[in-house]
Amino acid sequence: MPPRIPHPDPGVPDVRGPLRYMWWLVRRQPVRVLRGSLFGTLWMVGLAVRPYLISRAIDDGLRKGDTAALLTWAGVIVLAGMLLAWLGINRHRTMTFVREDATARSAALLVRHVARVGAVLPRKLAAGEVATVGGTDIGRVSMVLTLTGPGVGAVIAYATVAFALWQVSPLLAVVVLLGVPAIAVAVGPVLRRLEKTESSYRRQQGILTTRAGDIVAGLRVLAGVGGRDLFARRYAERSRELRTEGYRVGALASWVEALTIGIPGLFLAAVVWLGARMAAEGTVTIGQLVAVYGYTAILVVPVWFLLEAGYDVIAGRVAARRILAVLTIEPDRVLGGATEPQAAPAQPADLFDRASGLSIPTGLMIGVAADDPADAVALADRLGRYTATGEPGDVTWGGVPITAIELATVRERILVADHDSYLFGGTLREILNRGGARDDTAVRQALYAASAEDVADSVSDGLDTTFEPRARTLSGGQRQRVRLARALLAEPEVLILIDPTSAVDAHTEARIADRLRTHRAGRTTILLATSPLLLGRADVVAYLKDGRVAAEGTHADLLAGESGYRQLVARGSEPDTATATTGEISA
Amino acid sequence: MTTTRLPVADKRTVRQAAAALLRKEKRAVAIILALHVVGAVAGLAGPALVGRIVDRVTAGDGPSAVDKLALAIAGCVIIQVLFARFAQYYGHRLGERSVARLREDFVGRTLALPVSAVERAGTGDLATRSSVDVAAVGIAVRDVVPVVIISSLQLTLLFAAIFVLHPLLGLAGFAGLPTTIAVSRWYLRRATSAYLAEGAAVAELTEELTTTAEGARTTEALRLADERIARGVDRVGRQWRARRATLALRSVFFPAVESSYALPIATILVAGGYFYHHGWVTLGDVVAAALYLQQAIDPLDRLLQWMEQAQRGLASFARVLGVGLVPPEPRGATARISGRELVVRGASFSYPGGHDVLHDVHLDVRPGERLAIVGPSGAGKSTLARLLAGIDAPRTGSVSIGGHAVTEIDPAERRRRIALVTQEHHVFIGSLRDNLAFAAPGATDAAMLDALLAVGADWYADLPDGLDTLLGDGARQLGTADAQQLALARLVLADPHTLILDEATAALDPTTARRTEQALGAVLSGRTVIAIAHRLNTAHDADRVAVMENGRITELGSHHELVTADGAYASLWRSWHGSAA
Repeated sequence: MPPRIPHPDPGVPDVRGPLRYMWWLVRRQPVRVLRGSLFGTLWMVGLAVRPYLISRAIDDGLRKGDTAALLTWAGVIVLAGMLLAWLGINRHRTMTFVREDATARSAALLVRHVARVGAVLPRKLAAGEVATVGGTDIGRVSMVLTLTGPGVGAVIAYATVAFALWQVSPLLAVVVLLGVPAIAVAVGPVLRRLEKTESSYRRQQGILTTRAGDIVAGLRVLAGVGGRDLFARRYAERSRELRTEGYRVGALASWVEALTIGIPGLFLAAVVWLGARMAAEGTVTIGQLVAVYGYTAILVVPVWFLLEAGYDVIAGRVAARRILAVLTIEPDRVLGGATEPQAAPAQPADLFDRASGLSIPTGLMIGVAADDPADAVALADRLGRYTATGEPGDVTWGGVPITAIELATVRERILVADHDSYLFGGTLREILNRGGARDDTAVRQALYAASAEDVADSVSDGLDTTFEPRARTLSGGQRQRVRLARALLAEPEVLILIDPTSAVDAHTEARIADRLRTHRAGRTTILLATSPLLLGRADVVAYLKDGRVAAEGTHADLLAGESGYRQLVARGSEPDTATATTGEISA
Repeated sequence: MTTTRLPVADKRTVRQAAAALLRKEKRAVAIILALHVVGAVAGLAGPALVGRIVDRVTAGDGPSAVDKLALAIAGCVIIQVLFARFAQYYGHRLGERSVARLREDFVGRTLALPVSAVERAGTGDLATRSSVDVAAVGIAVRDVVPVVIISSLQLTLLFAAIFVLHPLLGLAGFAGLPTTIAVSRWYLRRATSAYLAEGAAVAELTEELTTTAEGARTTEALRLADERIARGVDRVGRQWRARRATLALRSVFFPAVESSYALPIATILVAGGYFYHHGWVTLGDVVAAALYLQQAIDPLDRLLQWMEQAQRGLASFARVLGVGLVPPEPRGATARISGRELVVRGASFSYPGGHDVLHDVHLDVRPGERLAIVGPSGAGKSTLARLLAGIDAPRTGSVSIGGHAVTEIDPAERRRRIALVTQEHHVFIGSLRDNLAFAAPGATDAAMLDALLAVGADWYADLPDGLDTLLGDGARQLGTADAQQLALARLVLADPHTLILDEATAALDPTTARRTEQALGAVLSGRTVIAIAHRLNTAHDADRVAVMENGRITELGSHHELVTADGAYASLWRSWHGSAA
């Protein structure tokens, strides 16, 4: 029976260890797993039936010239073939369901956890790691579950063949039953070594593929500055290195492939020889000789299966461990040393940052110009409660240490809009409008305030146009304005904008500055920027020198009174400094 | 901009290309096939010898009679092993050689593509071809084609062997064939698209997880967790549906094929019984034929399993070849240029399928001057930059340098003289040295360090291995600002006489941008610099400023002149540096 995917609730996994995790995945679907074991067993035992039937057709029908018996056995062979096919597909379907149930469950757990764990994730894990976990590890773990179906079947099939062989001849039975696994165990490691060589080749091949993609991605750069021949030559060199490596793999692989046919072939010859001598002596019949030949060939299936399954378990354990590494990441639950959680201020309240001495009154647009951009980012992190370090009371909100307030409340009411915040893929509407909470009018208003109407207008489907993650098809300026519109649309009580217009042209920047003021009227907005166009529109501007507030006032006041501030934000209007540096300006 | 996808080769072109590949390797192909035939024939001896053993035993010969036959089986196995090994080895080498040739060809052709063609098609299409398709062709040539050839060969020989035993037995062996062929055709028509969809669904889920991880901070800041989860769960559902679709195909294909394996065996036994009864064949013949059929299951299985892959490889091959169908960038009539003055006369331009974005633009750029172009987004600044750099030709009018149309100049020469640096920068995988050297082959380490210094790339000091530090995907990632400085350093090394900077410092923070531009200005003194900028201090520093609006140049003059003229630029300038000035 197919599982219901996606699961409404994937459940609470056992994260105490990789094997426990895999066992948990099995326990979620006991009936299906039992069905899988049943079909797996019947199918694999069924494989051994055909040689038996053929032997009966030869012995009872052909040799004795008994047409009725021959026709009966032939009919049984056809029917058994159909039954076997039916068992086979049921086994395959059930096991696919078992694996997919596990895959969907692991994926759902990861999706949920990665989405909820939040800002702490990049510090604890590279994004590439998550890609590996999602791309390969989930599948590897699910693969282990195959063991529950055909794995059980393989053991039973082996026993069945053993019984059948014993009926023919105990001596042959012992030779075959020990010989086949012995060969599998002998050939296995050689295959593994080949796989390792192959995987090193594939890795190199992957690197070469990446190189080709790299060249494609940089085509425009090469078109701008030249250097195409060099890249073509270098790629060709690498390609030839890989070819040489490929030859080496080929030399080994061809031996392995030939021997994997040859060793079982020689063993089969030995078994036939033994059986034939017995047949000649009259200990076994001709049909039985043919059956032994068939059994020996068939026995390879369960034996190989078990061997492969063993390796799957090893790989699956490693993969499960990596999945657990992601699932066990915990968000920083730092209360900053505060003893008691406290309630957030009920009304909009002033913010105060001790490190810089900056205090932010409610309802105003505050400009902060920091002489070191890193100080501005650090300030935003403190105000938005993204830093796990520090003392309680470093930042207070209406007098309450911000670290003592429930994190969800802080996130809801204070938004730090990073300069390079992430743009997820989806339609423009989805990108802007989280959870579809706002109507199109609000979306358009936000686009207008961010002077980003052109983004929706320039694309064919307007708000329904889809973008890839990071929206690389948009220009840098367009992306920045989309980010701004998104932050505005969230309508936070306190909005902290870091360099929101650094990539847009002056005309647009002027427009944004005006519209931003109107849009955020009555609410607290903190602009961390050095652009005079933006700072000129702020109610108050704080000039941060070495991380401390050095002066406060309107943009005009600071321009007039603070030479450091003037240097920082409006150097272009300072003919002296400009001339001194370039020596070419005649202002 | 509308995208026109790159062409895909038609069936005939694919066939011709495949034939050409094989023609180059005629001798190797012949040797490999011969080796395989010998190996496979030796492999066929097994069942035949078992049949002979059956006949001997039936005839009542003693145990010693079977010893030699059993030994012969072992001998045949050894022959099979040896021949198969060398056939595989040479086949492997052939595949490896062909794949290398194909991918080098592909990259060569890609590099020769005109930029405009790449841009029209979008780099996405090309990126897919370079990764997915080249890899698929590689797998096909190296792994799939050999399996298909060997399996077909084995099957042919197996059936031939049954025919040799007795033609009538051979005919009986074909009993299962019609259903197998019919079902396979049904399956192959549907499989490729279904498996591609499955692959895409898997990739989508992985991408969803990756983006959620990459955007973890944004997810937390904007409280997007529920939305991310909903999307992720949706992707889980899609992957499941895609997997069910392929499972549905297999649910028809597998049982149909598997159940048809029994039919020929039963037919041969019944027919063989009849023939044996009439004395046309021996009992051993029938046993051997039945064993051959049993032995045929394995290659048939493999053939059917790989057919789908082979088909996919063929489709990828068509896309890889398609890149070669785009006419490469023309060599250009003018090999050398002497003059430096850039002249635009009455240039209009439209992107394919769109209306004009430049109207009758006239501009004389004096050698050695710094010209800033400012204006609102969409005014046509970047388009003008592309015309100046010779990437596109104007629809009407002309753009010339030293009296030659820019697009007529040999591309290599043109890039050496006129460089275009845009916001779009790219750090190539490789060392920092590799990333600089291609702009100026033969540049010394000292020159590279100077160039980095000139653009204010102070991050160089933090690199663990200096110029040997590996950069790019999978190694050290440069931030956007650092990457931009790297692009500028390349420019300093390339040392063209004319530079077009299209928002080349937009990613730097305002302070650093200003510093970088000024440092760059000192190094590039004497060069013609055309800078498109959104920061007005760039305009302030320039010799002349051109203001663009709606595809036209509306104001042109020095900063001072324009401020005095009190037009659009002047008002912008006033608002830009605050009411105080």
